[in-house]
Amino acid sequence: MSLFSKFDAAAALESTLSSMPVNPTSIVISKVVSASEAIVNGRSTIMAGTNNYLGLTFDADCISAGQAALAETGTGTTGSRMANGTYKEHLQLEDELAVFFDLPHAMVFSTGYSANLGILTALLDADDSVLLDSEGHASLYDGCRMSGAKIYRFKHNDPEGLAKRLSRLGEKAKDALIVVEGLYSVRGDCAPLKEFVDVKAQYGGILLVDEAHSLGLYGENGRGLVEEYELKDDVDFIVGTFSKSLGSIGGFCVSKHPQLKLVRYASRPYIFTASPSPSVIATTREALKKVQHGQGLREKVWHNAKHLYKAFAELGLDIGPTVSPVIGVSFQDREKAFSCWQDLLSLGIYTNLILPPAAPDGGSLIRCSVTAAHSETQVDSIISAFKKVCKERNVGRLN
Amino acid sequence: MDKNAVVEKLIKLLEGSLGKSLVLSKDSTLLGDAGLESIQVIEYLCEVEDAFDVVVDEESLSHVSTFGDLASVVERISSE
Repeated sequence: MSLFSKFDAAAALESTLSSMPVNPTSIVISKVVSASEAIVNGRSTIMAGTNNYLGLTFDADCISAGQAALAETGTGTTGSRMANGTYKEHLQLEDELAVFFDLPHAMVFSTGYSANLGILTALLDADDSVLLDSEGHASLYDGCRMSGAKIYRFKHNDPEGLAKRLSRLGEKAKDALIVVEGLYSVRGDCAPLKEFVDVKAQYGGILLVDEAHSLGLYGENGRGLVEEYELKDDVDFIVGTFSKSLGSIGGFCVSKHPQLKLVRYASRPYIFTASPSPSVIATTREALKKVQHGQGLREKVWHNAKHLYKAFAELGLDIGPTVSPVIGVSFQDREKAFSCWQDLLSLGIYTNLILPPAAPDGGSLIRCSVTAAHSETQVDSIISAFKKVCKERNVGRLN
Repeated sequence: MDKNAVVEKLIKLLEGSLGKSLVLSKDSTLLGDAGLESIQVIEYLCEVEDAFDVVVDEESLSHVSTFGDLASVVERISSE
């Protein structure tokens, strides 16, 4: 087997995707018009497949802060904080994150992916056990695999399944790491965090919650699902990203444990990565303020989410039981999912097509998301397009 | 329980989970012959763990292809 023969399967996949009328993995956005609209395939398109939940990518204050930082501090840091120095703005953002989450320790990473890799590889080694939700993000799995720890999966959002596995681990359970997310990004369902905390209280364990998609959306201050359920004291580590509700890029970890400070010395994905650039730090800091005082934005995104969810339910689409800004519409037939996704795009609605093996349950999904930036008219346009497509394609209750 | 009995139980478990009869043996593969998608395999393996009251780590599963391979892993972990 040659070095490159491992790409044969990828080449076959690329060939199949390229033969489709529209390749779902090669969508080019030629111009971003606003936080909710872009030019795709030459036509004005409503972006209903982003993670821009609070619509902050075009916030005037965030843009100004980024522009000022570019002018004052330059385009990049050109190296890692350990080797090339920490900018004072990195520390300011970490202080502000700690205040925002009301936790004593915070650490910033260059991406959400590297935050998960960085924390998990520092926390775990080959002698440890980690229990992961079966629908956890790839970055969580990759971090656990890199650590060499023994990985045990439990069924998605199944506290009983977690309890059984902790029970079978015996003495090891008390030091096992439990990893779940807040809001899951494909189906838009939330972790039963209270129940997971109860299991942890019974069997022991260290709980890490990835709030990548729930930050900004849940809790009085937008801190996420941990705040929503008032579980700050029961959760050991919260990780997340700046690339969703904060409209920037980067990742973080906050914790009550002082050992988080020492992760800097033990985390290769942190040590050997260039630090976030000044403009990224500046826009993130500004966006964090917007989230902190973002009750209006949260009301808007939730209003849009409820409106869309109700309409999809009335159309009889196969959606999950939880209302959230992310709605996964399930299809048993992948060809039909693809056709509907393509029809929506041709009507000026961009959504995310998720096919096996990425989709839960081995099915296919169209992921649709709304944000605080979507107007009522835009949400109505999304609904009208789904209605038209579902009727023409014999999907849902209208048929 | 000998290996053949473990294989039989694994196949019955899958039949119960999918709600249909399957023509499978110890040499049948989970992804190919049983027709499971990788996500479905994860769900199935959770059921296997519960049925045999074991926890199986991901590394132990990395070389599992057939029901016979899976039975060997379950037997080994059960005896530890």
